[in-house]
Amino acid sequence: MTRFTIPAVLALLALPGLCRAADESPSYQRHVSALFSKLGCNGGTCHGAVKGQNGFRLSLFGADPAGDHDRIVREFAGRRTNLNDASASLLLRKATGQAEHGGGVRLQSDSFEYAVIRRWIANGAKADTVGSARVKELKVTPAEQVAKNGETYKLKVEAQFTDGTTEDVTPYCSFESLDTATATVDASGTVTGKGVGDAAIMVRYRAQPALARVLVPRPDAIAFPDVKPNNFVDAHVLAKLKRLNLPPAAIADDATFLRRSHLDVTGELPTPEEVQKFLVDTSADKRAKKIDELLTRPGHADLWTLKFCDLLKAADFGVYADAMSLEADAPRFQAWVRARLGENTPYDMFVERILLATSREGRTMEEYATEVKLLFEGYSPGRRDLELYAKRKTLDLFWQRRGSDGVSGTLQVAHAFLGLRLECAQCHRHPHDNWQQEDLLDFANFFMRVRTVGFQGDNEKKFSDAAMYFKKFNDEAKTLEADVKKRKEGEGKKLEEDAKKAKLEADKLMASPKPLAASQVDELAKLKEVIAKADAFKTETAAMEKRAKTMPEVARRLLQAECRVLPPGKVAKVDSTLGTKESSAFRLLGEADAVTVAVDKDPRELVVAWMRKPDNPYFAKAIVNRVWASYFGRGIIDPPDNLSAFNPATHPELLKELCDGFIANKYDLRWLHRTILNSRTYQQGCTPTKGSENDRTHYAFFPLRRLPAEVMLDALNSATGTTEKMDMKFHHWPDEMKTLEVPFAPRNTFVTFVLETYGRPKRNSAVQCDCEREGASSIFQVLTLANHPRVWEKIRDPNGRVAKLLKEMKDDSSRVDALFLATVSRLPSDAERAACLKFAKEAESAEKGFQGVLWSLLNTREFLIQH
Amino acid sequence: MTLSRRDVLKIGGLGLCGVGALDVIRAHAAPASGAKAKQMIVCWLGGGPPHTDMFDLKPDSSEEYRGIFKPIQTNVTGLQVGELLPELAKRADKYTVIRSVTTLNKPGDHAQAPLYWNTGNPRLTTGTDEYPMYGSVVNKLRPGPKDLPTFAVLDEIDVHTHNALARNFMGSAHAPFIMQPLKDKDAVTKMLTPQLEVPAFDKNADLLKVLDTKLRRDDTQDELIAGLDQYQQTAFNLLRSPKLRHALDISKESAKSVERFTRNKPAKARYPVGDPLHFLIARRLVEAGVPVVHFNLGYWDWHGDNFTAGKQQIPMFDSCLAALLDDLESRGLLESTIVLALGEMGRKPKIDNPKAAGAGRDHWDYAQFVFAAGGGFNRGCVVGSTDKLGERVKDNFYKVESFGRTLYHLLGIDADTVIHTPANRPVKLIVEDAPIIKEAIA
Repeated sequence: MTRFTIPAVLALLALPGLCRAADESPSYQRHVSALFSKLGCNGGTCHGAVKGQNGFRLSLFGADPAGDHDRIVREFAGRRTNLNDASASLLLRKATGQAEHGGGVRLQSDSFEYAVIRRWIANGAKADTVGSARVKELKVTPAEQVAKNGETYKLKVEAQFTDGTTEDVTPYCSFESLDTATATVDASGTVTGKGVGDAAIMVRYRAQPALARVLVPRPDAIAFPDVKPNNFVDAHVLAKLKRLNLPPAAIADDATFLRRSHLDVTGELPTPEEVQKFLVDTSADKRAKKIDELLTRPGHADLWTLKFCDLLKAADFGVYADAMSLEADAPRFQAWVRARLGENTPYDMFVERILLATSREGRTMEEYATEVKLLFEGYSPGRRDLELYAKRKTLDLFWQRRGSDGVSGTLQVAHAFLGLRLECAQCHRHPHDNWQQEDLLDFANFFMRVRTVGFQGDNEKKFSDAAMYFKKFNDEAKTLEADVKKRKEGEGKKLEEDAKKAKLEADKLMASPKPLAASQVDELAKLKEVIAKADAFKTETAAMEKRAKTMPEVARRLLQAECRVLPPGKVAKVDSTLGTKESSAFRLLGEADAVTVAVDKDPRELVVAWMRKPDNPYFAKAIVNRVWASYFGRGIIDPPDNLSAFNPATHPELLKELCDGFIANKYDLRWLHRTILNSRTYQQGCTPTKGSENDRTHYAFFPLRRLPAEVMLDALNSATGTTEKMDMKFHHWPDEMKTLEVPFAPRNTFVTFVLETYGRPKRNSAVQCDCEREGASSIFQVLTLANHPRVWEKIRDPNGRVAKLLKEMKDDSSRVDALFLATVSRLPSDAERAACLKFAKEAESAEKGFQGVLWSLLNTREFLIQH
Repeated sequence: MTLSRRDVLKIGGLGLCGVGALDVIRAHAAPASGAKAKQMIVCWLGGGPPHTDMFDLKPDSSEEYRGIFKPIQTNVTGLQVGELLPELAKRADKYTVIRSVTTLNKPGDHAQAPLYWNTGNPRLTTGTDEYPMYGSVVNKLRPGPKDLPTFAVLDEIDVHTHNALARNFMGSAHAPFIMQPLKDKDAVTKMLTPQLEVPAFDKNADLLKVLDTKLRRDDTQDELIAGLDQYQQTAFNLLRSPKLRHALDISKESAKSVERFTRNKPAKARYPVGDPLHFLIARRLVEAGVPVVHFNLGYWDWHGDNFTAGKQQIPMFDSCLAALLDDLESRGLLESTIVLALGEMGRKPKIDNPKAAGAGRDHWDYAQFVFAAGGGFNRGCVVGSTDKLGERVKDNFYKVESFGRTLYHLLGIDADTVIHTPANRPVKLIVEDAPIIKEAIA
């Protein structure tokens, strides 16, 4: 066999884990399988794939060690291991590239890994006794370390097993730095400081994760500026900046603060008047007062309605024959959310009223049927159904969406309310998290009793109470239809003919040049009566006809889409290419023990009660972190919807204090917004202080963000002094509405184009990611503002901003000021004013000149980017 | 030389290119070689053209199957096409006809099969990830010249799903430029050509440069700003460059040249026929350097009036596609440009009521044709065959994934390249493993 190289020998001497292995046989699970994970053999693109690779399959990330062992030792006529001549084992020959291996050379024959696997084979390639290999705890030291740039140190990983033994497993772990700009780590666990920052090092032993942190401060020895915190948010942020020696940016000026907070809190630009008024206000607490005012504006509720509707996928409606539709139901969903946010419903109540929703809410079938009937009748000009639906206690529409039931619905609940991405755990152990398939299935059982909407052949039999109304309403529709027919052909026809005759005679009378005699006046009145009677009859018939068409819809909605909790029966189950798995246990996420659920209880109540526990690890954290992310473009845990042991917070103490405060303030969202908005961290400028330019995660300055699609278009409209007609009369939308308020893409092709181009999400229930709303930039976005004909029309609009100020203002300087205030919400600098005046003067006409100025301002990054 | 109908079927069955099963297996194992195709034109026949009336005739079947169109001999021994394709018959030595790729209705139908065919993955309208179109992937991995769009769609992507496919999980930056350059009022075409004369545009852009300084101090550090800067530069290049404007301006084309495309455009038609000039614009765009052009050509979902519609639409398709091939060949572009013509399905070989006026062919998700030329596709080749009625694939069956992988192979893009879904799940460009269609490529 190959001789050991010097480093390998040194490694042998240095590592207690290996010393142990040197006198004992290596264990399959503790060592060999761990090395498969470390070397990537059991990854999804290699032998961990569904069908394995080239006939050899390992379970993904070693989830099934017994099966893997079996396949290694028994399959392929046992040729993978050669007990007599271990080095001749196919397993080793392939991995070292001595035999052809699709995955290339994975292993050097002089490596320690090779030695371990070889020795395991030589010792009989045995499986393990159960329990000796289960990890109880994984400990990394040092857990946190301050390192200088270029400094190195070594991590040590110890595993405590369920049989009570402890072993140094460092050489069996893989290491990964989550921020390689700050620190790197090599395969042996040696960390090297690289650049200023704070990096998490992810350590994995088999599928088990552990984290270590390394902090690399900026070396400059200048004194950290004495910055006063506004509140506890700043205390945490500044403390971290101080440790990293990253000086924070100066406070943003008033104009910047005003524009920023307006856009972030209400989704609207401040008007030029608002800017000017704020700039001359000299009161010391004007920012705090402004924040309070903005939080009570309708725009604030509108903006967060948009965000929650994104999150809750308030657009995915319409399964076969359930009489649900995007056009009717997305606006209702939106109206309900808007009403709750308008009332500032405590967040826990808000979620409870969604999660525990039923259609009937304890009412009788008759009462519920009446509600549905009224909703359908309200789907007409004025949309009276919206107000009606908004008054409901619970949001049954959440459970009436496509894919909201069963395991897929559970994924959505976990994502929306717990900030967890469990998608991967549907088919296999989550590769970047702790979740196993059982965790997901056990949690899904709390939701399995929610009835799946949509047509089922036996719905009439199963839901006899609903079926009664289904029949009744369908019968009513038939009767109505017959009546309508009768009215149209019978009395209607006769009245129509009478009216026609009456109209002719009335016209004749009215055309008479002479004044009418008294008898003629009487006659005319009578004729008009005849006409009116026919009209009234016709209107009534039309209303009946409409009802006849609506009633079957109402009937279908009642029978096929009512959200109710069914008796126990269905258990959580997933089918995937990796096989079928099911579970009947009820177990909350992260809890060790299953619970029992009384048959007469809605299991979802247990979920809500668990969420409300002050020590729930996800519920408050998820929303606090999301709200934070909406103001800073990144979460304290980022991505904000990925709360995971593998994804550490940058400021854990800050997150905890925000969560505790949020809970102590009875889940008051406005408290949360106010606290963040009043912080110095939110109000500082976007220009970094020298030395802090490279910071991305510690809030040394205000991070830049692109405006969301809807906010951008509304800002464009307000800057140019124009509006967009949505062209949705057909669906009974109001004539005027902000883009922020549209429940789905309207027929106005420009609006739809902008929504698509600037990344409005489709609200696809299959996508569990906050990133469904795009924040990236693209060439289309630049082209839209720079050259879309509709944008030019807005700039040139005869009643728009430029036309108006040419009429209303006399001197060019004020005109330039006005355009700056309307677009970037500040006054120009002297140089900017001079450049614009020069441009305007040299232009063909004043009109073209100021249009050019407006165009330029709209195309600045300052306009498009929140700063 | 003439062949009997039966001979045609037999030869078709064996595959004219003489590639055995072993080669197919080898092709699967071999790594992707150098790219043959630099560009691609997709003529999308939305709705599903009747394969048994066009490229997979079944003259021996009974009247209620074979319909009224007769086969004609092409210039390739053993390949016959429908009589409404005389021009393509003369050029059969330039292309490959694939008769053995179908969706098998998994997923099929007009709502889903177009998404499947155009991405190579079983994408649904909702409820699955939004896999990108081939052109979007080219835009991400191998973008074209900086002053041109990389992926242009003329009119719309598909007649049924319209532009749903534009949305993809790689982000809106990789969506196609969807334009209707033949319509005066098209906003996107206008957006791509300056709304001001270039000197005035430049003056505005100069003022913009002066005003756009506020966030510039630190912009080298910021990804968002750097990205926007780059996009602005590219966008302004595109607006200033005459390339795209010239390519879209068909007045530059001689009347005689235009006539080759328009001559068979029916004066009146049962269904929308599409615009024959999209072939011409596609060619001009490819000539200018645009890597991928896709257009939907009218409506082919002929449940009624299959034969009326055929007489109206197929000759136009024939002369346009033939002219496109001629032009690409004479400009030396055919070798490096894939030209595809296909729809999301075929049409049902059995005509429900063949004698009735307005007889149509229904949906058929189990057999269809793919027309493929250039860019490394074989010349004068037929791949696979269907049974004697044209209902099911008989041999050399390939899934849509194989078709997608073949395109990527020719474009020099590794179909196993891993991209990430929004939930950060790594997926390959073509998720499922499948062999490439070795018989179809040179």
